[in-house]
Amino acid sequence: MKHGKPDGVALSNRTYFARYYQLYLMMVLPLLYFLVFKYVPMFGNILAFRRYRPGMGPWGTEWVGLQYFKRFWSDPAFWRAFRNTLVLSLLNLIVNFPIPILFAILVNEVRNLAFKKVVQTISYMPRFISTVVVIAILGELLSPSSGIFNILRQKIFGSEAIYFMNDSKYFRMIYVLVDTWQYTGWTAIIYLAAISGISADLYEAATIDGANKTQQIFYITIPSIMPTIMVMLILNVGRLLSLGFEKVLLMYTPDNSMVSDIIDTLVYRTGLANQNYSYATAIGLFSGIIGIILVAGRNTMSKRLTGDGIY
Amino acid sequence: MKQYKTHSNRIFSLVVNLVMLFSLFACLTPFLYMLSLSFSSPRAIINNEVFLFPKEFNIESYRQIFTYPNFFHAYGNTLFYTIVGTAISLCLMVLFAYPLSKNKLKGQKMIMKLVIFSMFFTGGLIPNYLLVSSLHLVNTRWAMLIPFAINQFNLILLINFFKTIPLDLEEAAIIDGLDYFGILRKVILPLSGAALATVGLYTAVFFWNDWFNGLIYLKSSQFPVMLFLRNIVTGTSMVGDAAGAGDKSTIAISIKSAVIITSTLPIIVLYPFLQRYFVKGILIGAVKG
Repeated sequence: MKHGKPDGVALSNRTYFARYYQLYLMMVLPLLYFLVFKYVPMFGNILAFRRYRPGMGPWGTEWVGLQYFKRFWSDPAFWRAFRNTLVLSLLNLIVNFPIPILFAILVNEVRNLAFKKVVQTISYMPRFISTVVVIAILGELLSPSSGIFNILRQKIFGSEAIYFMNDSKYFRMIYVLVDTWQYTGWTAIIYLAAISGISADLYEAATIDGANKTQQIFYITIPSIMPTIMVMLILNVGRLLSLGFEKVLLMYTPDNSMVSDIIDTLVYRTGLANQNYSYATAIGLFSGIIGIILVAGRNTMSKRLTGDGIY
Repeated sequence: MKQYKTHSNRIFSLVVNLVMLFSLFACLTPFLYMLSLSFSSPRAIINNEVFLFPKEFNIESYRQIFTYPNFFHAYGNTLFYTIVGTAISLCLMVLFAYPLSKNKLKGQKMIMKLVIFSMFFTGGLIPNYLLVSSLHLVNTRWAMLIPFAINQFNLILLINFFKTIPLDLEEAAIIDGLDYFGILRKVILPLSGAALATVGLYTAVFFWNDWFNGLIYLKSSQFPVMLFLRNIVTGTSMVGDAAGAGDKSTIAISIKSAVIITSTLPIIVLYPFLQRYFVKGILIGAVKG
């Protein structure tokens, strides 16, 4: 019998526990924490089926069945938020899924290693900047009175200043481009890792055969990282509806609410600002269920494609 | 291997380098612009003369925010949340990850399933809020620290790392008479520097950047600096008092920029030295898939 390796087969329960109780002891506090802070709120979702009365506990007072679900189902504000969530998510996926792939391929072609390292290091950085700071900087850059962007537009084209952050026409584009700015470098790391795994022989053979750089990218690099691209696509589809809630909330103004009100901001407003706890919980639960269906779907897809579930 | 200098390859490498230069420019310009606004005079800002370099250089805006007690207070709060939050988080996650790294431990598989399920289905905003409020954490600093102590992604990262430590070391330690707590402290942790740094940095960045939880759980004297900044931007918090009699909106721009720079400075300054740990995390995570 080996020591230190939970084996369990030949041990009676008592000796098993005597040997490994410390490992369980170690887990007690974190496990308790985990159950309280991750699982209690999960069951707290039953509030969606119960009426909440202030001061009468977080689980509500009486069952009301699907009342709150019926209410949001016939609420145009919900459908507006639902549509906005879907449109913004899809737009984000279409734009920001291919860009990191392209960026990784191009970074990989930089011959000067020092320059390559500098580009990589700096392109990851925006990922670690607070959303508040990003949106605050954006507000300055796009400000109609003093923003550099509007000043340049005026100087070069003589055009009128536009209040970009407040205009519903530009909200989606700005949201997506901020995501591009913040996450392109970071997401590209995964693709760069995949590219660095491609055998140099392939490129050598292609060069001898007379393939130029562009041909090498289309016939070697992209096919070789296709499995990674597929896995990332599946992952992204699985979390399609989870937009950057904080970012949207920071960019939200009454003037752009037509397009910027997504499910999460609706839940925040009806729940926390207006204290309609049960109603907001029902909306939140609905989008949570869609989320888990998407994840399950993505796992099935991944199993079918690669023979291996992601989780 | 010598590259063939064909015409098309030369154009190709020109395009590559241009794209890279553009990316550098795009990543850095916003910060340079903020930096130059924060060092420029209100007169230059109002006349739209400031671009990538400060005009009429002065440090007035920094002098002003440092006389502003709320700013100092918020900055101190953020330091507190970051340090204490990261410490609590690392302790809990290490204690959880080590037993969970043992595949054969009874119950391990079930707990792992619980952990993974909770990554995909969460309680949602309202149930979480009601939990924190029924634990009487609202309006206490704990509301910023406790609910976020365990992040499943970081936990899995640690578990995967612990799994790579050879079991022989542990077996030798048991023969030497160490118990599991001793093994964790004297064998596992000293070997886990890189993983702890990675997870610690992710956690620290999370606490440093957090503002939403401050918004829903805290009272204003407990606000972290990011929430302070957000309130300046939305105009719910006054910087005007510090700005004096001048044109408030323009002075506020240089002050806003100074707050942006000072509140992001720790990340920007430390980042180049620590970035290899950040990158390590995503790659360990990627191996897992």
